[in-house]
Amino acid sequence: MSIPRRTALAAGATAAAVTGALAGPAGRASAATSYAPGSWPATTVLPDADRHLLSRFSYGVTPALRDEVIAAGGGRAWFEAQVTAPHDAGDLTHLDWWPHLGDDAGQAWAADQSKVRAGWQLMEDYGRRVLVRRILTAHQVREVVTEVWENLLHVPTAADGVFTWRIPYGEQLRALALSSYDELLHAAVTHEAMTIFLSGYDSTKAHPNENLGRELLELFTVGVGSYTEDDVKSSARILTGFHIDMWTTFASSYRPQDHWTGPVQVMGFSHANADADGRQVVKDYLSYLARHELTAQRVARRLALAFVGDAPPSSLVDELAAVYLANDTRIVPVLRALVDSEEFAASTDAKLRTPAEDLVATYRLLGVTFGTPTVDESAANALIWQSSGMGQQPFTWPRPDGAPLTASAWASPSRVLAAMETHWAMAGGWWPSVDVTYRARTSWIPKSDMSFRDLVDHLSRLLHQRPSDASLLEGACLATGVAPDAAVNKTGVPSWLMPSVLATLLDHPRWYLR
Amino acid sequence: MNGCPEFARLDTLAVSRRNLLRGLTAGGIATAVGSAVITTSPASAAPAPSVLVVLSLRGAADGMSLVVPHSDPAYYKARPGIAVPKASLLAADAHFGLHPGLAPLLPMWRAGQVAAIHATGMKVPNRSHFEAMELVEDADPGSATRSGWLNRLVGLTSTGDPLQGLAVGSTPPTSLAGDTTVMSISDLSSAEVPGEDGRRASLEAMWRGDSTPMGRAMSATLAGVDKLAKAQAQADHASSYPDSDLGRALSSVARTLRADVGVQVVTVDQGEWDMHTELGTLSWGGMRSNAAELGKALAAFFNDLGTVRPKVTLVALSEFGRRVVENSSYGLDHGWGNVMFALGAGVRGGYYARWTPLLTTLDADLTVTTDYRDVLAEVIAVRMPGSSLARVFPSFARTPIGFMAGQTGWGRTATPVVAPPVKPAPAPVKPKKKKKKKKKRKHRKRKHKSRRKKKS
Repeated sequence: MSIPRRTALAAGATAAAVTGALAGPAGRASAATSYAPGSWPATTVLPDADRHLLSRFSYGVTPALRDEVIAAGGGRAWFEAQVTAPHDAGDLTHLDWWPHLGDDAGQAWAADQSKVRAGWQLMEDYGRRVLVRRILTAHQVREVVTEVWENLLHVPTAADGVFTWRIPYGEQLRALALSSYDELLHAAVTHEAMTIFLSGYDSTKAHPNENLGRELLELFTVGVGSYTEDDVKSSARILTGFHIDMWTTFASSYRPQDHWTGPVQVMGFSHANADADGRQVVKDYLSYLARHELTAQRVARRLALAFVGDAPPSSLVDELAAVYLANDTRIVPVLRALVDSEEFAASTDAKLRTPAEDLVATYRLLGVTFGTPTVDESAANALIWQSSGMGQQPFTWPRPDGAPLTASAWASPSRVLAAMETHWAMAGGWWPSVDVTYRARTSWIPKSDMSFRDLVDHLSRLLHQRPSDASLLEGACLATGVAPDAAVNKTGVPSWLMPSVLATLLDHPRWYLR
Repeated sequence: MNGCPEFARLDTLAVSRRNLLRGLTAGGIATAVGSAVITTSPASAAPAPSVLVVLSLRGAADGMSLVVPHSDPAYYKARPGIAVPKASLLAADAHFGLHPGLAPLLPMWRAGQVAAIHATGMKVPNRSHFEAMELVEDADPGSATRSGWLNRLVGLTSTGDPLQGLAVGSTPPTSLAGDTTVMSISDLSSAEVPGEDGRRASLEAMWRGDSTPMGRAMSATLAGVDKLAKAQAQADHASSYPDSDLGRALSSVARTLRADVGVQVVTVDQGEWDMHTELGTLSWGGMRSNAAELGKALAAFFNDLGTVRPKVTLVALSEFGRRVVENSSYGLDHGWGNVMFALGAGVRGGYYARWTPLLTTLDADLTVTTDYRDVLAEVIAVRMPGSSLARVFPSFARTPIGFMAGQTGWGRTATPVVAPPVKPAPAPVKPKKKKKKKKKRKHRKRKHKSRRKKKS
């Protein structure tokens, strides 16, 4: 352990108090210490309902975002502005930090072959860029919703050859994130990245490969139990013809000579499929699937799972599915219905932050500023190893079903251990340490000689976007050995204790919830 | 200990309360989680009499490449590009032989410590990775409760110590999901609470009484970290393993088991077996590298166990097998039957199979003749006698196989039950012409192990 341990020095005066509290539930009542929370109202917080909305539709409420919401006239008005803003194709935030991100497939392949930038490195760069974007972008709702689609229509970056086409795939889903599921589904299923990942490139009329045809039904649309194995075979046949020159140029083409022709039927969809160019039957087929009631249920449930709770009420899912169908699969009307629902209002703090959300929020709320990355250890590059260490490197979930969104999947001791390490390293500003600026420790203290309780309240307002409670104050006192009423100055709460205070905010249950 | 559920539960709480009181007086650590109390003290770590390690080969490993049915002519007919030549097989008998990549396992094989049980799986094919994994690991068909068979197994004798069950890897598997709280680590070095000494007390106070999944995880973490300190003190022999996630995971497991801190069940996951494309041959492709990694890692693991080796049994399985006939991408699509491996304590080595002759139709599967639970249950019956199989595998009637010591079953010498082949459908496809394939470029990820935070 390379982190300085100073508690041994500091704890001398307070050892008795710390030992007393250690005893846990039975030994808890140390009547002498009151953990009544402090109050520092000068630090503004959003109303509870707005905090809730922002906790689900942003990657963390920074003071700047808080002010933006207030200026917009409240959370709902801010949300409306976000979902109606056109896609900003010029939002190239820090694209230039990783020079190969703009390569086309042939260039990416050439860079890999010449060892200028290997495919797996390019995919790490893509993950970095997306994490940086989540941390910095002003288009928070689009980014949050993009993550939902990029996970539902998941193409793992580590799958063979995918690196050549994976970046434009993500950009296309981002551009369409607030359009319609019909458009999203068509863009995803016919995209080269998906064609490579689910073996579509080598699915021909002689040997239809069922991989994509099956996952399309199982994961992207109607779900297991609603189709037969014959439907899967037809699904695969419909999708034949999309071709990639694998391992040569990775150029993309449609090859009518590979398309299986003849009548096809999948569930309620049937088509003569007589044309050697199957792209129209693909469009019709996907259009049918996107508008299927079971697809509506799937999309509605996925959005409710992402934004409401781990076991969304079926009443809400039904309602959202109905809105989806009534609006011809358009996304924004469904999102509006979701945020305006009673179920949403009742779901405050019901979601666990995933490890990646935790990491992004840590950067945002600790006010960490990136410099242009120059070496592997630069913060903007180290992000990818931080996320991998926490168990969730973006887009690397190995299976086509996408990373899980429920608490039970992420609430494991291994996640706890990794999160504690990241929180500690960043609360102290110890790592990453290159091309990065952390806030000065003293900058977290609004007024010298304020009480420790009030400092904790101020920090709670900044990092938890709400006033502090007794549990947080007790945690901060135990972490530091400082008494609640100690004066915050060089002798009472010296600045070298700030890492412990900040880590307490990141260790608290409120931090893990959103 | 394996009586009715109520008794087990009461017993858990009673033990926990005793430990809690002891913790208060002796300076141990106690943590409340909802209504239960999880507690541990290094002194109370009782060694487990036997240990079960379950290795999941994620993505559906092709069992017919790992344990090759060379006597079935359809195997070679179905796989002109990727079949393993008979002459290359290791430890071949009249019917089966091992992939050459498994060579490091030959000493154990010859010592009769490796069993390969073929044509195993679920009774009904399920070709979805996620659904199949969920079903295999839940192993309680028809139940709506998500609870894994290993979690139920640990639950039978749970003392409230989360380290009785240990998952090694980034995400704990379904088999360990459930009511009984277990420990999970990415690797052994991560098992600590970083930071100042006061952080531990702070965490305990702030999460006290939190019964959410994250609250339970926090409590298990704090308890588990204490015990794993003893494992961290064990010698690290990682250099004898492959330099891979599997190698590192099994190395962590070996150190933990050598510490003998009461771990009964361990899960390890390894991915990257979903070879729709480029499964390849003996000279290139995914199977070549994966088989070699698997063989080396398993051999290193058993060699690294030291004095606890006589109590450790490892089972390796996948969620399902792959098709008989290769596709046009030198790969195999999702199939049904597969091989399972059992290694180590109590195993009576060799090949075990009730084989249905393979067909060469495009969608032919290896027919499952042995329920995968028969394999798991036989290991438990022998290594953890007294465990209630009815609770681990509800509504399942076990058929003994005989690959574990002392078990009498259909065994390897039983007359193969050969079902008459179903009349093959007319071959829908003419034999494809060989394409010259460019050898796959491997994008092996570099590991960044040394990126730790630095001193201020």
